[in-house]
Amino acid sequence: MNHFAGIDIGSTAIKIALVDRDEKLVASTTCPSGGQFHRNAQEAFQRLLQESGMERGQIAFVTATGYGRKLYRDADEAISEITANAVGALRAGAPYGTVRTIINIGGQDSKAIRIDGDGNVVQFAMNDKCAAGTGRFLEMVARNLEIDLEELGEYHVRLDGAPPTINSTCAVFAESEIIGLLARGYSKEEVVAGVHYSIARRTVRLARRVGIEEQVYFDGGPALNHGLATAMREELMRDLIIPDIAQITTAYGAAILSREVWAAESEGA
Amino acid sequence: MSAAPQGGRRAAVLAQQIRESAQALATLEREFPDNPAAMDYFYKLFHRVYCEGGRAQPEGTLVGTTCVQVPDEIVRAAGGVPVRLCSGSHAFDLAGADFMPAKSCSLVKATLGLLQDERPAWLDSLDRVVNLTTCDQKKKAGQMMEELGCQVHHLEFPPSKDSEHARAFWRASVRDFVRAAERMTGGRVTRASLRESILAVSRAQAAYRRLQRLRAESPALLLGKDAFLVTNAYFFDDLERWTGAVDALVAELEARREAGISAALRRAPRILFTGSPPVFPNLKIPVLVEQAGGVIVADETCSANRMLNDAVSVDEWNLYDMVDAVADRYLKPCTCPIFTSNGDRLRRLLDLARTHAVDGVVYQAFAGCQVYEMEHHSVSRALAEAGLPCLYVETDYSPDDVGQLSTRVEAFIESLRSRRRRRQ
Amino acid sequence: MKRLRAFVNGADIQRFRTWFQLFAFVLLVYGGYLYIDLGNSLPVFACGFNDAGRGGVCFLLPLQHQTHIPWESLFSWRVLGLVFGFLTFFAWLLVLNKAWCGYVCPLGTIQDWMTALRRRLRLRYSVYSLESFTRLKKVKYVLLVLLILIPFAIGNPVEGLPHVPEDMATPFCTICPARMVIPAFTGDFSQWTLDFSTRTALVMTSLGMAILGIFFVGAFVNKRFFCFFCPMSALQALFSNIALLKLRKDGDKCTRCGDCYRVCDMQIKAIADDVERKTLIEDDCMMCLKCVAACPEEGCLKATFMGIPVYEATEAGFFRRLQQRGGQ
Repeated sequence: MNHFAGIDIGSTAIKIALVDRDEKLVASTTCPSGGQFHRNAQEAFQRLLQESGMERGQIAFVTATGYGRKLYRDADEAISEITANAVGALRAGAPYGTVRTIINIGGQDSKAIRIDGDGNVVQFAMNDKCAAGTGRFLEMVARNLEIDLEELGEYHVRLDGAPPTINSTCAVFAESEIIGLLARGYSKEEVVAGVHYSIARRTVRLARRVGIEEQVYFDGGPALNHGLATAMREELMRDLIIPDIAQITTAYGAAILSREVWAAESEGA
Repeated sequence: MSAAPQGGRRAAVLAQQIRESAQALATLEREFPDNPAAMDYFYKLFHRVYCEGGRAQPEGTLVGTTCVQVPDEIVRAAGGVPVRLCSGSHAFDLAGADFMPAKSCSLVKATLGLLQDERPAWLDSLDRVVNLTTCDQKKKAGQMMEELGCQVHHLEFPPSKDSEHARAFWRASVRDFVRAAERMTGGRVTRASLRESILAVSRAQAAYRRLQRLRAESPALLLGKDAFLVTNAYFFDDLERWTGAVDALVAELEARREAGISAALRRAPRILFTGSPPVFPNLKIPVLVEQAGGVIVADETCSANRMLNDAVSVDEWNLYDMVDAVADRYLKPCTCPIFTSNGDRLRRLLDLARTHAVDGVVYQAFAGCQVYEMEHHSVSRALAEAGLPCLYVETDYSPDDVGQLSTRVEAFIESLRSRRRRRQ
Repeated sequence: MKRLRAFVNGADIQRFRTWFQLFAFVLLVYGGYLYIDLGNSLPVFACGFNDAGRGGVCFLLPLQHQTHIPWESLFSWRVLGLVFGFLTFFAWLLVLNKAWCGYVCPLGTIQDWMTALRRRLRLRYSVYSLESFTRLKKVKYVLLVLLILIPFAIGNPVEGLPHVPEDMATPFCTICPARMVIPAFTGDFSQWTLDFSTRTALVMTSLGMAILGIFFVGAFVNKRFFCFFCPMSALQALFSNIALLKLRKDGDKCTRCGDCYRVCDMQIKAIADDVERKTLIEDDCMMCLKCVAACPEEGCLKATFMGIPVYEATEAGFFRRLQQRGGQ
């Protein structure tokens, strides 16, 4: 029984997804990218195979995507994360409605993608030069507030009332602004919420560049932060689809593409 | 700031410029397999001029031009040697930042940088510049060139082109320019010399069109990165020799076509490139497009198609009519975004897309190049109506954004592939 | 067929036209000596006053004669002459359209010869400003209306209004420069006189001689000077869109470079600027097809006969002609 893999090597985390012939997600894993991401990706892949009781030989096709896609030499094919994300989101979002707009926040980038009914990318926008409003920013905030990254959502929810406005879009300047807010007696809850709103504002601006249609699918690691998700909903003024597999959507899309390319090639052969 | 003396800084700028040129050439030559043999002439030419400071031009007074709409024929007829100064060098761009606001266009800054800094040896004698009054940044750059000790002729270009007033105004400008060119070079524009230069330039244009015609074929016979290099060479190469080299390339491509050799895969998405001009060594975006598996088959830019496509048509081969004919060629068909309205540019894009069976458009705008940024709106709308996807890339000469841009460009090429699959 | 087409499209249309014009000139000005008679409904200035040599007669001459009829005759057999004359004129026009002006009209040809002389002397030509051009264009229609109305008014005097004198029976011929110029080519200068017989005749012939002077000066400095005012051109223009020979433009291919407008003797700007219309025959157009030859865009401008392209703009043809003409 053949399986198909998608490996999404991001700047912060490596995500791997396996699908079967029916393109059903059968296993997935995430691990930090670290400095040696090629080795880390190989090891994570091995671990995932062991846990699912599979052999490497059972994986018929591997598609690499993400920032490290070209450096992962064990892949059969490399594809940009925008295409992979579109395919994954269309499939994962299907139970919730028709996905037409995707917002993705990653470790170092944020993207907005508009797709058609077949998951083809119609238009997309991406941050080119600056990593403000990405996962890195959230990590920095958590470090400054001495709380875990996973706790950010909790802190946000505990807040009642309006958060302060964080004006700086640059992560470096925002850091000093946050320290200033804490010094002026703002609570951690208020600061965290303020940060979420500033990221949401920035991301929604990006999304407006591609046009926001119908259901909006929100993915990437930070999408699991429900504080940020709340801020995004308010800034977008509409509901969001945030699936459980938000972080591995792109890897899942890459795995589906593996299956499709393999099928096309087998037909041709 | 280091305490290095001026000379030290200048030498460093030049060294940086040589390094980036060598790197760009290495990319163009080595990262793409199976380049046509006739391209060697161009690779070597760029190496000689950009990395060794050698002169490609024949003897004669160098006259720098800062715009594709400066009538070359007049300069040549006066016995001058036109050199287009529009630079694509990041090193010069940084050097030119002393003159212009940080947010201004890389190309204008690089041109100023080239003029102020340790120039490539062959440009040492250049102190005469023709600057056209096109966009605001170029207009003001002309003034700064005077500060740099250049003798600048400000050639007045009208801000719109459709009315007869504009045509008459520009003709008067060009007539003045004939005298100015004579003063710059000490030569004379005569009936015979202008006729010769019109004919020589038109032979070059005819060769370019033959090449462009081949690019309309499928599968693609020539990569866009090479095509841009060929047209870029026109900036500074000896005219007759350039024409011969293009014809040699055309002959080789025709032979390769017979042998069934193509430059890209049969189904590689075909791209039309438009917007701010790619000028060597800044072929960042074209290279990204072709590394991602696309192939640039046509362009609407002033470093290539707009420079060479339009031809002079003379009715009476006397001086009075030839000068006007040259003037008309540089105004009426010009699709520069500085003009008030630009239906011509849209039509040109759609025509190129149709004749070259284009799958998508890549629109480059240099950060700070307001007119191209502003025209993106109307262009993308017209393209969308024609069902042509368009990738808009705002960038400059720095290599900082290549990583992010490569993802965007690849995604765009992938989306074109899937569109094509769907249509089949 | 493909090679023939490439040959034709690469040809120098101006040289072909020069020879064709010469041939047509000889036919119409000297054809009479060879008993050639193409009838009297020709859509060109084949002047009827050239008694000895004419190979055919200009339609405007019988037209003025035939409109010189009383109102009631309009509904009698007499009008048949007018109808048949017009139908013949129309049949001629249907074939060549306005190319009669560019290729056949002797007065047009003479003006082209004057232009050639000026060019040899290296004297700059002059052009009208766009404003005057737009105003002057209308003159030919006024003349056309007058040349029909005046004879008609003679045949149908209106009570209470002054009578139009009989000497105005062919008002246009009296002032037309062809009346003096064309017979002169067969050595007949009898028209170069003032007629003192009546006051009207004197005024009209003086006007004619003045216009002749203006014609010589004008045609020397302005290309095809007289054609802007030509009522024959106006009459043709009324039907030019149904003729079989057409000048067509594919606006999608046009770069609006204006090369066609540059070389146009009639200063027709629409040929360069209009990208909407498929058939582009302006009323001043003489279908000389210089614009087609001056267009570097493949298939953008073309002359078609019954839909079949006969002469087409091609890149190769354009550059070939440029090198050839410039090399001379």
